Amino acid sequence: MKNFDWITPATPEAAVQAAAQAGRAFLGGGTDLLPLMKSGLREPTGVVQLKGLTGMERLELTADGITIGASITLAALCTDTLVQRSLPAVFDAARHAATPLVRNRATVGGNLCQRPRCWYFRHPDYACSKKGGDTCYAIEGENKFHAIFDNTTCNIVHPSNLGPAFWAHDAVVVVLGPKGERRIPVAEFWVRPEEDMRTEVALEPGELITSVSCKPLSGRSGSAFEEVNEKQSYDWGLVACAARLTLDGDKASDVRIVIGAVAPVPLRREAAEAVLNGKVPNEAAAWAAADAAIAGATPLRDNAYKVTMLRACVKNAILTAAARARKS
Amino acid sequence: MQQDSSNAGKNPSVFSRRGFLKGAGAAVAATGVLGAAALPTDARSSEPTTVKADEVVPLRFTLNGKSVEVKVRTGYTLLETLRDHLDTTGPKLACDYGACGACTVLLDGTAVNACLVLAVECAGRKVESVEGLEQGGKLHPIQEAFMAEDAMQCGFCTSGMLMSCKALLDRNAHPSHNETADALAGNICRCGTYFNIYKAVDRVAKSGGK
Repeated sequence: MKNFDWITPATPEAAVQAAAQAGRAFLGGGTDLLPLMKSGLREPTGVVQLKGLTGMERLELTADGITIGASITLAALCTDTLVQRSLPAVFDAARHAATPLVRNRATVGGNLCQRPRCWYFRHPDYACSKKGGDTCYAIEGENKFHAIFDNTTCNIVHPSNLGPAFWAHDAVVVVLGPKGERRIPVAEFWVRPEEDMRTEVALEPGELITSVSCKPLSGRSGSAFEEVNEKQSYDWGLVACAARLTLDGDKASDVRIVIGAVAPVPLRREAAEAVLNGKVPNEAAAWAAADAAIAGATPLRDNAYKVTMLRACVKNAILTAAARARKS
Repeated sequence: MQQDSSNAGKNPSVFSRRGFLKGAGAAVAATGVLGAAALPTDARSSEPTTVKADEVVPLRFTLNGKSVEVKVRTGYTLLETLRDHLDTTGPKLACDYGACGACTVLLDGTAVNACLVLAVECAGRKVESVEGLEQGGKLHPIQEAFMAEDAMQCGFCTSGMLMSCKALLDRNAHPSHNETADALAGNICRCGTYFNIYKAVDRVAKSGGK
């Protein structure tokens, strides 16, 4: 790696101030930044350490819901009883991610900001459209792990596990920047390639995620995150789904279905939610909602399998969320 | 084991410069070593401590129970610092991307990929590698169990496996089979010795860590 200025601020405000200079990067757990730097995809002139910044390692119930500091590690998230009880989809998503060694370092903020795993993007020799070139090599190349929705411009899939789970819990991403604090509803946090090819998230240069606030389960409700991987360890999902629902009598209400790993950004499937709302969330209803969730898929040469797999994944997420709601 | 790099601590000039200490407080400035004193958060200046990209700075941390000092650049990983500058070659360089676990060390008791940690992040912290498992000529119980259960073949993953096993047993003296498999999911063994590694962990658990 190239050497860089090393800056260790004590507060989020000082970190934002330090990052105002061009060419600087925030370091959370480093599990994505260091690989990007090693392969030359990022060459920051300065790295701003986030460890120990005031307020960024809190995890608590507040008036806003459950506030998760951006420096909380995935390991802390998937061993926390408040998260397990009140945000089960988030708990599941953190538990599935990467490896135990990576989870011990990787942070919530970093999980949302990690760059895509597309092998053309990650390969230093491919000047793909995401890196300023004019071609998405995945469209005609090897596209087994690529997008099956919204894939005409750039075929990445968003790698964040937490993204769909946060969305299922109506999260708000709290961001600090040179102009002060902003609160971004998670639905508005993602940036499609058609909007801006250079980024996947709605952060301005120098802005820092300080926390994420999630709506906890209440009443007879449940949530779940399901993912299918090619291998168990150090792998990103082939397909993923976060589901949340509340039981009104024996019928589902206030349903959220968000799919991941199948499009350049996580996608909320409102048509699938509409299918399930007002129905008893049994296997037949879950399959019907899953059919709505996969509608409109445009798979590429090598990834049609993802459509079938996603259908089952959505069904499973719904049934797990429903089973949890019945037990609550 | 060599504890210092060849010239760390011998050149007085490294202690007199103030560049990287600017604003870090008198406790550090007096010695000039990154990590020399653990500063309470409220004593830290609002002006961030900075090490410049072109600087070589002395870094102090605890390695296997002993305080070590080594000169580093900001772009050094913990893994290359251990292997290339502190003669601590138990942690292996294999993938360098956090995928394989051959470089596993404990950082303040937590198992991490040393290839994904910057050396400068370790200032004042505790690092344990496989070299620290043996105490006073006596192997750690997990090392004994690896031998008893034949839990290695080529041995390249072993030093990382041992550290992940130690981290697991330190927090859970009686892990179930699934807990062991989960805890070792970041350590890859291409010889496929997993089953005997699980048996080695069971052996330590059953013997009460002895």
